[in-house]
Amino acid sequence: MAPRWKWKGAEAKALAEPVSKTVSELQSSLAQIEVSGFLSSCNVLLSVEPEQAEVLDRCCFGRPVVSAEKDKRWIQLSFEEAFFLFYKLKCIKISLRGRSLENEVALWRSMRSFKTNFAISYKAYSHLRSKNWIVRSGLQYGVDFVVYRHHPSLVHSEYAVLVQFICGNDRLKVWSDIHCSVRLTGSVAKTLLVLYINGNVNTENMNLPLCLEDYTVEEQTIRRWSPELGREDETRT
Amino acid sequence: MEEKDWEASSSSENEGGFPNDDDEEFHSGGSVPKLQFRVGSSKARWITELGMAEVEVKRGKLWTTTGIIRSGKTYCFIEEALYLSEIGELQILGNEDDIVIPLKDLYEKIAEEKSGCSWENYEVYRYLKGLGYILGRHGVSWTLKDAARPNGEEESACAGECPADNDTVTKLLGDVQICDAKAVFDVYLPNSRFKKSSPGEPSFVACFSGDSPPSKEDIKVLQKRIAAPLTFCHIAQGRASFFSFSSIDLPVLS
Repeated sequence: MAPRWKWKGAEAKALAEPVSKTVSELQSSLAQIEVSGFLSSCNVLLSVEPEQAEVLDRCCFGRPVVSAEKDKRWIQLSFEEAFFLFYKLKCIKISLRGRSLENEVALWRSMRSFKTNFAISYKAYSHLRSKNWIVRSGLQYGVDFVVYRHHPSLVHSEYAVLVQFICGNDRLKVWSDIHCSVRLTGSVAKTLLVLYINGNVNTENMNLPLCLEDYTVEEQTIRRWSPELGREDETRT
Repeated sequence: MEEKDWEASSSSENEGGFPNDDDEEFHSGGSVPKLQFRVGSSKARWITELGMAEVEVKRGKLWTTTGIIRSGKTYCFIEEALYLSEIGELQILGNEDDIVIPLKDLYEKIAEEKSGCSWENYEVYRYLKGLGYILGRHGVSWTLKDAARPNGEEESACAGECPADNDTVTKLLGDVQICDAKAVFDVYLPNSRFKKSSPGEPSFVACFSGDSPPSKEDIKVLQKRIAAPLTFCHIAQGRASFFSFSSIDLPVLS
């Protein structure tokens, strides 16, 4: 499926501003002023300057929290987004209960305590982000993530992503699950992409973000084929 | 797809005629004499030990895309025989006599799965054939010059079963992989110039994983053995759906 650009000139604009470049900008912009957020049970709240809010928006990290404050912007980040900015891009600081978390282990464990599947979910998120795809929540399509080739204002998302841990068999177990996910994603012109995360289930291992190094990701698309379409118009036997 | 009424077809057991709306030539209204064959109808004889029918009279171009050739003779599998019977193109005679085998008996053969084709397999066969696709049993050549007759082994091999299923000795050898999914049909796009002598590569291979979707491992096992794309078929309430599971590598963007 070719990418569906939203307006004439969108593709050119995307080509002129590669995602990787914008992410680098974000990294330096946030690191300059020590940007700090605090952890709640379901997200990380970040306080930033308007310029930084703008860069965050350009690479699609977080959602703005509407407030009357003029000189500060509040952004709420998902756990995956926050951990990525903290651990991978190393451009934000996060505090929990008033104390700044110095290392990734404490943050990792806190997030895992709030969200059971965090390790797997984060592996998938960082895998996609590392390929420079924009990753957003896929909840409204019944999936974990949707990925965009560039900013959502320029292009429609192409893939709807379901994350499956190799030992867990909890997604797409029965045929009706396949029908459901494929037809739903198809109805919004997206391809269903399943990410299989392979790795050691050893709970002790999973206590450290280092376990991420041991996980591998396999990508698989599931498509439905319609025999009525895509055949040549020949006389039947 | 219409449901077939087994009871109705058994009442015409000894007649040449089968319910067929398309055939206007024999709207006689009167009784049809025994063993009268309609013009345009091919004939084949069911060979019990083969689980296949040997074609004796061919009518029409349909035989360019149906049946396998062995030493100049054409044989067809149960699904081919049943499909052609359903559409009134073929009459199947008994092994011992010239009595036409009724649809009911053919359906039973499919239901019993003794001839390498299950009901789910048949639904897919019928559906795709009706749309003009060309289907052959996976693993069975359309034509073999030197073979005398199709043998029993060939017939079960073509069900695409992993060899280990029937042989405990090979299981012990360990290098044969067991999987629940089966490759059943090679499917070709509609093609008026199709040649059994050089069919080319199929467009895809129709696979069945049964009650549950195929596991990632089963897909890998099949894809390792089969070069053509795999399409998994799911039948529910007489409707066939087709899914492809493809390994990809999402591109790294700039």
